[in-house]
Amino acid sequence: MINIEIDGKHIEVENGCSVIDAAHRLGIYIPHFCYHKKLSIAANCRMCLVQIEKAPKPLPACATPVAEGMKVFTASEQAVKAQKGVMEFLLINHPLDCPICDQGGECELQDLAVGYGGSASRYQEEKRVVLHKDIGPLVAAEEMSRCINCTRCVRFGIEIGGAMELGQAFRGEHAEIMAFMSDTVDSELSGNMIDLCPVGALTSKPFRYSARTWELSRRKSISPHDSLGSNLAVQVKNNRVMRVLPIENEDVNECWLSDKDRFSYEGLNSAERLTKPMIKQGGKWLEVEWQVALEYVANGLRQIAHETGAENIGALATPNSTLEELYLLQKLVRGLGSHNVDFRLRQSDFSADSKQTGAPWLGMAVADINRVDRFLLVGSFLRKDHPLLASRVRQATKAGAQVNLIHSTDDDLLMPIANKEIVSPTEMTTVLAQVLKALATAKQATLDTSVQQIVQSVTPSAIAQAMADSLAGGERVAILLGNFAQQHPQASQLQLLAQHIAALCGATFGFFGEAANSVGGYLAQAVPFADAEHGMNASAMLAAQRKAYILLNVEAELDMQNPQQALAAMGAADMVVALSAYKHHATEYADVLLPITPFTETSGTFISSEGRVQSFKGTVQPLGEARPAWKVLRVLGNMLNIPGFDYNNSEAVRDEVLVGTDLPAKLGNVLHGVSAQAATWDVTGLQRVSDVPIYATDAIVRRAASLQKTRDAATPRALMHSVELKKLNLQSGEMVKLTQEHGSARLSVIADDSLPHGVVRVAAGHAVTAELGAMFGAIMVERA
Amino acid sequence: MEKITNFFKTFLLLELVKGMALTGRHFFARKITVQFPEEKTPQGFRFRGLHALRRYANDEERCIGCKLCEAVCPAMAIHIETEERADGTRRTTRYDIDLVKCIFCGLCEESCPVDAIVETRILEYHGEKRGDLYYTKPMLLAVGEKHEAQIAKDRASDAKYR
Repeated sequence: MINIEIDGKHIEVENGCSVIDAAHRLGIYIPHFCYHKKLSIAANCRMCLVQIEKAPKPLPACATPVAEGMKVFTASEQAVKAQKGVMEFLLINHPLDCPICDQGGECELQDLAVGYGGSASRYQEEKRVVLHKDIGPLVAAEEMSRCINCTRCVRFGIEIGGAMELGQAFRGEHAEIMAFMSDTVDSELSGNMIDLCPVGALTSKPFRYSARTWELSRRKSISPHDSLGSNLAVQVKNNRVMRVLPIENEDVNECWLSDKDRFSYEGLNSAERLTKPMIKQGGKWLEVEWQVALEYVANGLRQIAHETGAENIGALATPNSTLEELYLLQKLVRGLGSHNVDFRLRQSDFSADSKQTGAPWLGMAVADINRVDRFLLVGSFLRKDHPLLASRVRQATKAGAQVNLIHSTDDDLLMPIANKEIVSPTEMTTVLAQVLKALATAKQATLDTSVQQIVQSVTPSAIAQAMADSLAGGERVAILLGNFAQQHPQASQLQLLAQHIAALCGATFGFFGEAANSVGGYLAQAVPFADAEHGMNASAMLAAQRKAYILLNVEAELDMQNPQQALAAMGAADMVVALSAYKHHATEYADVLLPITPFTETSGTFISSEGRVQSFKGTVQPLGEARPAWKVLRVLGNMLNIPGFDYNNSEAVRDEVLVGTDLPAKLGNVLHGVSAQAATWDVTGLQRVSDVPIYATDAIVRRAASLQKTRDAATPRALMHSVELKKLNLQSGEMVKLTQEHGSARLSVIADDSLPHGVVRVAAGHAVTAELGAMFGAIMVERA
Repeated sequence: MEKITNFFKTFLLLELVKGMALTGRHFFARKITVQFPEEKTPQGFRFRGLHALRRYANDEERCIGCKLCEAVCPAMAIHIETEERADGTRRTTRYDIDLVKCIFCGLCEESCPVDAIVETRILEYHGEKRGDLYYTKPMLLAVGEKHEAQIAKDRASDAKYR
């Protein structure tokens, strides 16, 4: 430890700490632009110059490490003179367009210019002009003359985002920031550059010119999209969400936000919002009063339960619904006498139900990912499904962690991968079994009988051996299963094998989790096996068509594992009640549409994949006659005379679920009573590999206009290995007809040699591919 | 002593003479009453009357939607909404001043970086209903167009003091 003195105050800091960090710990502010606590030191803005005793010249506080007995003066005459001089240079080329600049009011340069700038400029010559650039739909770089070349955005790209999306070209006065990798800057984390930019050079395109910062009120919320539960500051004006910024939480999202969380708010103000309850009568949709709609629903459900049995009612909800909504939905359905309730809409293997020790979760705290030194990632579109968790894995690799990857696609994760095995979905269990076998041989361990059969049937490949060696050599090992592995038709086998691998190398083992409430859904008991009597799961409910369905936030053709089957079941049902914030395709199959509110207009709770319970309040008033879903379900419960529906607020619902519950004890990834069999699933011909594209995961992002203009939201294409294309005599770029069971879709086919042989990669969750069947399984490709 | 003065005052009518003297002075003094509306008082070039939104000589509206006037307005009489116009510039889609709220302090004019919102010399305007004094962007622009010559002249006179 080193003792130093800053402005007469003593502090003890660790060796290697910079002067600026030490000053900030003392609560002394040193002006700065290029310094950022999460980024490397560039020391190119020179704003943080301070006087240090015995140094002949002022030194940059961000790049000066502390030394024993150092005396720093941050506000001495020399320091302030130096800072004022730097400010004058910075302002030489900075345009005086603060009145039209979106950064005005929250601009670091503007704020510091008040303290350190002169009242008039001595500079008479021409100012530097940097031409504007179009870098995609999310980030506006229209006024690059404002740039002070701090290179925070460049460093963010390299260090946090993983790719140098923006770079600085040319030198001296000609230096300018431009897109390096492609024409657009719209990777999954690029919106953070807007926050990082200390001036108005990079601003938010969707927010552009729509409001000033001082008009916005700031309200806390929690992201409803991915399983991380990012902390949001929702900024509101006139009862309308104007933009979303991160709230710093070192244990969750640090100071970052994924683009999905940041820009999805546009979907909240979509023209498709449902604002009045509607009933279909004689094939026509009528807007009705809430009372009428709710009575219609209550009578309908009562009649179906009475005439055909309550088990003919099924309820489906998305994992983006709040804990309260999911809990009341299952309570309503169970109150009617049915047990058919599920929120795991994209899952296809339910054989692990009730054989698991608890709700599948991450298995560790999110912040611990940074400290892992060996990863085994199984079936995860990591960057697109969990942008900020991917960033944490990336940070771990920077510290020397090795990443082993088993997956069916080879998307660039923008981090070094030690070993990867890219195989078709049917071969994934085999690869895991190989790794398990290699590991067991190395550790001379005897395996449990549940996995012996599959392990005996395989011989470890060189890659599996390398993975086993990598995992065995780690101190803090994590085995993480992604969305693809959870949606896989052999999900429980993958889980079982991963569990045994984890046991052998002392690893933590968990699931990334699909959505904001993937863990919360289990705790809310919105699963068919939550009580003694088991009901039907999401897949069974569609296979054995029910008479009535209650859909909470669900768009049947986009949110389900098998859209074809889902639409058939909805079409055949006597009554479909859709609780939705949007007027969507449900108009084709539903009988009642009840307008509910998205997360910004209701209070609720999400339980993130690490088991973190985060409650939030509504940030704006509900739009039109839309009402929070928990209130709608509560009133329905009253109308159906189900006992225990007398909640006064959503907190009462949450407390009923969580108070007195030992949350950590309810989480558990360990399977009992499942055994892995060799080669139980095979597909003849080509098989489908599906991802849910990052901006197609839930109803809100699907309607976020700017996100839909990014490259990630492009129309899905069928991707195949060029060898497979040749076999079918197809050219890359040609239109093909894809057929699964009874449905088909026409897409263009593109050669992608990073894919394994025998697979066709087609995105799910998109209107274009909604005619197709299940996300996994056989698929036919022919020339269109 | 006081008793004696009071005794003389009772019949010498001294107060009456004093009063009549005052009346007489005003009777012959120069008259300052203005016969409004036929006659008008002189106005300074900084007179703060009805608001106007100005345009540049090329007909482009000056206002850039920075909302400083809205922020500074102590009576919160200004309401602005902005968006990006097709040519990429920042423009208002709504610029309302509620003249019932306005206290004619002139801070909006003071804060405007482009001299777009100004207070003119117009003081004779009225509304028959309360809503009539809610001036919208087209109304304010119309005032500006009608009186641009006078507004420009007044700004020029004031320029050297700013």
